Amino acid sequence: MGATVVATADPLRFGDPFGPKANKVRWVAEGVVDGIWQYGNALGVPNMAGDIVFNESFDDNCLVNVVSLGIVRRDQIIRSRAPPAAGEGGYDVILIGKPTDSSGLGGVTFASEALREEDEETNRGAVQIPDPFLKNVLFKANDDLFRLVREEGIEIGFKDLGGGGFTCATSEMGAAGGFGMEINLDDLHKADDFPPEVLSIAETQERFLIVSPPELRERILKIYNEHWDLPNVYEGARASVVGKINTGDRFTVSHKGEIVCDVPIQHLTGGIRYQREEKARVIELTEPDIPEPADYNQVLLKILKSPNIASREHVYRYYDTEVMGNTVIRPGEADAGLIAPVRGENFGVALAVDSNPFYGRISPYWGGATAVAEAMRNVAAIGAVPSTVTDCLNYGNPEKPEAFWEFREGVKGLSQACKDLWLKGHMGQAVPIVSGNVSFYNESPQGSVDPSPVIACVGIIKDIGKAITQELKAAGDKLFLIGPRFDELGGSEYYKTIFNVTGANVPIVRFDLERNMIYAVIDAIDEGLLAAAHDISNGGLAATVSEMALTRPAKLGFEIDLEKALGIGASASMRTDKILFSESSGFVLEAKPGKEERLLEILRGYCLDPMEIGIVTKKRRIVMKRASETVADIDLDEARAAWTSGLAEAMR
Amino acid sequence: MKIAVMQFPGTNCEHETLVAVKAVGMDGEIFRWNRSEGELSGFDGFFIPGGFSYQDRIRAGVIASKEPVMQALLEEAAKGKPIVGICNGFQILVESGLLPGTGKIDMALAQNVMVSKGKIVRRGYYCDWVNLRHDAPSKRCSGSFIMEQGSLLKIPIAHGEGNLVTTTPKLIERLNEQEQVVFRYCDRNGRVINEFPVNVNGSTQSIAAICNPEGNVLGMMPHPERSFFAWQLPSFDPRKQRPDAAGPGRRIFESVKRYIEVSA
Repeated sequence: MGATVVATADPLRFGDPFGPKANKVRWVAEGVVDGIWQYGNALGVPNMAGDIVFNESFDDNCLVNVVSLGIVRRDQIIRSRAPPAAGEGGYDVILIGKPTDSSGLGGVTFASEALREEDEETNRGAVQIPDPFLKNVLFKANDDLFRLVREEGIEIGFKDLGGGGFTCATSEMGAAGGFGMEINLDDLHKADDFPPEVLSIAETQERFLIVSPPELRERILKIYNEHWDLPNVYEGARASVVGKINTGDRFTVSHKGEIVCDVPIQHLTGGIRYQREEKARVIELTEPDIPEPADYNQVLLKILKSPNIASREHVYRYYDTEVMGNTVIRPGEADAGLIAPVRGENFGVALAVDSNPFYGRISPYWGGATAVAEAMRNVAAIGAVPSTVTDCLNYGNPEKPEAFWEFREGVKGLSQACKDLWLKGHMGQAVPIVSGNVSFYNESPQGSVDPSPVIACVGIIKDIGKAITQELKAAGDKLFLIGPRFDELGGSEYYKTIFNVTGANVPIVRFDLERNMIYAVIDAIDEGLLAAAHDISNGGLAATVSEMALTRPAKLGFEIDLEKALGIGASASMRTDKILFSESSGFVLEAKPGKEERLLEILRGYCLDPMEIGIVTKKRRIVMKRASETVADIDLDEARAAWTSGLAEAMR
Repeated sequence: MKIAVMQFPGTNCEHETLVAVKAVGMDGEIFRWNRSEGELSGFDGFFIPGGFSYQDRIRAGVIASKEPVMQALLEEAAKGKPIVGICNGFQILVESGLLPGTGKIDMALAQNVMVSKGKIVRRGYYCDWVNLRHDAPSKRCSGSFIMEQGSLLKIPIAHGEGNLVTTTPKLIERLNEQEQVVFRYCDRNGRVINEFPVNVNGSTQSIAAICNPEGNVLGMMPHPERSFFAWQLPSFDPRKQRPDAAGPGRRIFESVKRYIEVSA
């Protein structure tokens, strides 16, 4: 598109690190993290957000989703299609980058099949082999290309080679412009003398395609082959003219003097419409009948240490979160990452990702809706306005009616959430989903992954100086809760970690309440009323407020009264464990001293019922009471030891 | 006053380094590795920024150190011009023999080994904010020219290989005696504790940066260009609340500027 990549985020899903496949799960988890840092760090793009969820549905099929955020001036966007003048002008088709080899042959097809162990050897060849070093050099050369065409005022087409390789990229560029194309495979730079079908569909990484006028040809080749010296930077890499655009409608490929392909170009790119059956999956779940724990200290420590709650520090220290020098809020400091990507400008771009597979298991619809809501809350918690959403929809085999139903339910849920949590300041106008990806066939003979519509939300804050983080700031500050606690512990960390049950009452999104909470928090931060904010999700109120104390520098404790967390209309008889661990949405807010009245005014203005639940203390202890009775009282260092060791112990 | 920010294939910090160079009022440009090395004599100072030059093939920094532009930098260094190598730039300076300055490869920046209470708790790549103590006297070294001895610097690291090791007898003693140890990792009060997390990568005597005997060539693992503005600081640093203010890393760039002014 001509954009500069300025941030990535990595939502990851791995199997149960303590289950029957623990060894493999841990090997996969460490390997995936190694792959992400080794590529991303070398490329020089900061990793600004991410999340990791472990659950047994991913034992045989992990999910590795990566979001990439770029920035480009609106009037400098480059389209991935042959430009209007390409046909008459006989534009060149130029392939740049790594020499085509046989790696990734059939990669997309492989990714679209359920995995079977006996196919491991055959599947290996379908894995693409990436090279961040070459990509780093190509990015810089591409910048020179974009500068050249800007200066010349000439429109070109530009596209990354991804799934389907050379054939996919060329035919899509031609067809999108409404033109035909002649390709000569003999002109491709290649690693060996491969047959034409390999050259056409291998998914060799680090390649791009340019459609450009012949008068720029020499200057473009010079950028890649001389200035950036691709042939000497990477063996066999270069830019080559491999074909021509024409005004016809056919896609013609020659190889060693023979025409090996001659088809209508639309034939290659036109989609196929499937008729899929859908059938609601019968999900038999009930709420468990469980005794109330006697020792909440032990329960809370166990939850803080759970690999799904524990600090992500073990992983994000592998990631270069600072490269480019744009980083304002980095992983671990808040619910979202924040960068200031344009020097001299005060605005910032926030990024957060979310999806809870345990909710998706109970209700694929609410799994979709809650993922959007939480990603938006994450962005709002630092003061940024949710502006756009992208998704990666991970499901099982869509040829199975139940899996297809899960997919449709998930899409309905996230679509509803985007509509009903509309763009701030534009009532009724949905938050746009600007890009996305669908990944089916995430299953093995043991079953499919839990429905996982992974959401990334991008937010904008006008002034990075106003953004806030989640750690407690000053003793004496008052803590407020917004978002009433409901009996919604289905799929909760508490049920799973303490009782090993799933439950049935999945958290739902109350769209008006959710939207009001998000907007109110943004307004309060914009007015400078908050010292810290953290959204309530996994682990409920107890984990959320504890994390605020445990986040570096971890110098302060807190004391809260759960009786005050009940709010208007809540049942006074709600059990203490449900108040602590219900995953109903909400926020915990630390007010700046003297700003409490104005904060309450804003919150009430959004029809919210703010609950003053406690205070930040100098004493480094986590103290939770109900009325006058102590529920939990834990030394901060003991809690921090549990919270910071949980993930490392699950991955090593 | 003109600065060249060197760029090798795989360098990835050149743009933010150039931003910092210009922000303290020096002219600068990015200098691609395959430009004519003769042009380098037209510059007054040099930054070799971080990244993964030549993919860390063989060893970090070794291939870049063999480029003609690096041979030219040896000559510029001999003229007393300032050269600051940051992260991978430090690794390149070691491989080129410019640091510790004996003309030979006398030390290595080996894989990080995090040791706590006698146990290895982690290895390899690590990204975090650390504290540095300036152990050289002021005016000893180009890149810390305006810094007082003992002053502290909050700054991020991001590397897999910054663990300074040597098998050369007496080298460390000599570096200490000749005040070539410019920065050490320390806690926020300036105490050097030779254990992870304060010694973040296992480096000998917590050394984070050294200069050559003449003082004009500095190699440092942490990234001053990422600590150049107060808004880049971690959230718990009180200076972050003044987003328009200068960050601690700015002093490295101001030092180079001052050094050039004084040498002129």
